[in-house]
Amino acid sequence: MAKAASGRSRRVRHEAELDMLPVMNLFCCIIPFLLLSASFLEITVIGMSGTEGVTASGAGAATANLMRSEEDRLQPKIIITEEEMFIGTSAGTVHVSYSFQEDRDTDQDGVYDTRVTSFHWDSLATRISEVRDLLSENYPQIDFRKIIILTVEETRYENIIRAIDIAGAAGFDMPGLQVAPSASVAGAMGGRL
Amino acid sequence: MSIPSKRRVPLLLGSGKSKAVARAGDQSASLNLTSMIDMFTILVVFLLKSYSAEGAIVTVSDALTLPRARSESRMELKLEIHVNNTVIVVDGDPVVAVDRNLLSTGGSIRPLVVRLRDHMEYSRNVRGAITEEETKINIQGDRGIPAILLQRVMASCTEAGFTSQNLAVIKDEASGRSGGD
Repeated sequence: MAKAASGRSRRVRHEAELDMLPVMNLFCCIIPFLLLSASFLEITVIGMSGTEGVTASGAGAATANLMRSEEDRLQPKIIITEEEMFIGTSAGTVHVSYSFQEDRDTDQDGVYDTRVTSFHWDSLATRISEVRDLLSENYPQIDFRKIIILTVEETRYENIIRAIDIAGAAGFDMPGLQVAPSASVAGAMGGRL
Repeated sequence: MSIPSKRRVPLLLGSGKSKAVARAGDQSASLNLTSMIDMFTILVVFLLKSYSAEGAIVTVSDALTLPRARSESRMELKLEIHVNNTVIVVDGDPVVAVDRNLLSTGGSIRPLVVRLRDHMEYSRNVRGAITEEETKINIQGDRGIPAILLQRVMASCTEAGFTSQNLAVIKDEASGRSGGD
């Protein structure tokens, strides 16, 4: 190999250059296709359960019926009024959270134009886990999945869904809805746990 | 035909160039596509993540905003009711206008029950019998509707024979969120 007077090699280094054009062409085809078939919002559903009575008959179903009636009797309820939220069973209720006003829906200028009633949902998540643990500890033979959302007429749909969502995360994945006037809901709270 | 000489022919526009520019004139200019490839790669990965092979089977009305929840149950193509604070729409047809009278009492809503029964009857005539799948219905409610309106719609569905009611929500990707308060 020829060397310069300085002793260094004179080999010229050629940088290998990849031809990116086919890759660009591929991307230009893929991106519009993916843009068309992309879904940025996923719509899912929450299945609501209807009120279920004890309808099965026969000796074999007797034990199941007893268990079911016990489950119905102990079925937890989330009670939402305009001022407060409770959770409990027929044995009594416990306070979860007071309501508060929350700003929503900013307009183009970034100004809040709606004030809505909301609750401290973290408290509900904590309480509902406690209720579930308590029920599972005392009645291990029953798989508690049903829960009733008992609410007054004015409660926002969004709050109902949030309550159902948190209940579902705690294992109560068969929600039902009962709507009653404020006086009836207050009466349903009965004693406290 | 004569072979063109290898002698350099000055460019028409570049004849007035400096010597340094003229010396570099033989090299072809090429765009550096690396940055663009990087950007496209990121874009493709993002789009692949949100790619849906099934496509959107439902259309959410512009007139309502669905609430958010962490439910994983996929929506099936069923009869749809859209409910907001002004109107109740069944399968694209406005059926009942929402007013104070409607919100003042409970129970089912007669025009809605009639409309749903018509649909049920139509399904029976077309398919011969009503299967369990035919009794399912999707309710898309605006997040601001009052509970009494939702209860009345659900009661109407039950009365018309749609015993399995699903509430449509926007899936909340923040799975760790428990309240956001």
